[in-house]
Amino acid sequence: MVSTELLSQSIINGLLLGGIYVTVGVGFALVFGVLEIIDFAVGEYVMLGAFTGAIVAPMVGGEGLLVVPLAFVAFFLVGVVIQPFIHHVTTGDRPMPLLMGLVFTFGLATFMRGSILTIFGPNTRNVPTNALSGGIEIGGLGTFPEVRVVTAVVGVLSLVAFMYYLYRTTGGTAIRAIAEDRDIARLMGVNINRYQSIAYGVYAGLTATGGVFIGLIYSAGPGMGLQYTAFAFFMIVLAGLGYLPGIIISGIVLGLAQSLTAVYLGGELVFFVLFGMIYVLLLVRPEGLLGKGEVA
Amino acid sequence: MSADTPQQTSRSEASPPVLRAEGIVTGYGDHEVIHDVDIQSHEGITCLFGPNGSGKSTLLKTLNGIVPIWEGTITYGDVDLSNATPDEIVREGIATVPQGGGVFGTLTVEENLRVGGFTVSEQDAYRRRREEVLDAFPALEDKLGDRASSLSGGQQMMVSLGRAMMTGADTFLLDEPSAGLSPALVEDAFELVERLVDRGARVILIEQNVTAALRLADHVNILVAGELAFDGSPAELSDEEELMEVYLGL
Repeated sequence: MVSTELLSQSIINGLLLGGIYVTVGVGFALVFGVLEIIDFAVGEYVMLGAFTGAIVAPMVGGEGLLVVPLAFVAFFLVGVVIQPFIHHVTTGDRPMPLLMGLVFTFGLATFMRGSILTIFGPNTRNVPTNALSGGIEIGGLGTFPEVRVVTAVVGVLSLVAFMYYLYRTTGGTAIRAIAEDRDIARLMGVNINRYQSIAYGVYAGLTATGGVFIGLIYSAGPGMGLQYTAFAFFMIVLAGLGYLPGIIISGIVLGLAQSLTAVYLGGELVFFVLFGMIYVLLLVRPEGLLGKGEVA
Repeated sequence: MSADTPQQTSRSEASPPVLRAEGIVTGYGDHEVIHDVDIQSHEGITCLFGPNGSGKSTLLKTLNGIVPIWEGTITYGDVDLSNATPDEIVREGIATVPQGGGVFGTLTVEENLRVGGFTVSEQDAYRRRREEVLDAFPALEDKLGDRASSLSGGQQMMVSLGRAMMTGADTFLLDEPSAGLSPALVEDAFELVERLVDRGARVILIEQNVTAALRLADHVNILVAGELAFDGSPAELSDEEELMEVYLGL
């Protein structure tokens, strides 16, 4: 017999998780559209964000929340520095640019993971918070950890701000134009190197920010990245490659699937269920559940 | 050049500068496609004809900066554009209408125009150009909020030309504007091109529909296997029976 209370709590937990996954997925989808790469390092930016929270929070009074803006700015700059290298290996006369991008970002991911493992060792670390140590009652359905609720709210707000930029500003319109056809965008006077840098910086910043929140909910460990890379793949395949609005739905589906599977089938089956869904989807609707072959 | 400077305003009232490419050699990888070609924008419409694979689009892409040149020079008036990037070339006043229009299908008509006006920093200048575009293509007024992909072929061509006008250009490079259009819309497309010329622009036009394009042409170049086979007026071309028959099918 399924308990209604347990089901409700699992659904809310799933929605809360989905809110933060969306911030990871939307950046991943953006760089797929704008830079035409599949960034294998996406999960490692989550890991680096979580580690930044774990290392820096004790220096700012033990409050992980204060690390969030810092992580965004720091990783935005990291992204701006890294993007020209990606551009270099995926353009010019090189054959198979998509494969070159995959190889480069796979190497980048290995380097990031190896560096953290070497410097900080294999142990996990907590991201401390004093402000979010309590619980919040939601609609009589139970009490949920403040950290999860605030994380989801900030995740959604970040997403709204990001979508506003993309859909309501000239810079955002230029980024969407690049995602659709970079050569024609260049012919309209758009400096695509600049906007590709901005897009990759925003992606790295958003993803690392998501990492701080994920560190607040769980913990930071050098091996955590691969899981989030898999989650990011799940989201963009479900949404339809590069289709940004679809990421909102697919992030929430991911959170729900993870939460419900963990509660009713067991945590060890989460990946089995998620990738089972993806395999079935690819067989019956390869363009994604929500996408229409669009990129922005 | 910044948008709508006094210099640019006077330019649009006078004749635009001449876009001149001399001794152009270029290609892809190790494969040379264009061999020592000279071409320039003349008053009105300069048509660039040639058989498929002759290098017309490649030559156009050297003029707009998409394909770098290996040898030769490209100038616009006194400005050297030989090594300029596409965005620098747009800022100098040269806009491209890609093959088939190349509208951003997922963007609305308004957003397409906004991308065209990307180099315009002043709001007043942007509004003026937008008004000019809607004045030239009034049919777009009711479609501004529609996705460009939802428009008919003719309307998409208006968006593409309007978007190019938003750059503030006075020289336009058009790559087969009639491509993909139904025969009924081809004449409309050419009429839209003429509207650009009526506003004082110079146009370099690649077109497979030679018969229709010749009616508009003020000057003709014919490219064959990456080399310039003819450079003259339409009247002079009519004397070149072999060229007309072998390469243009007339």
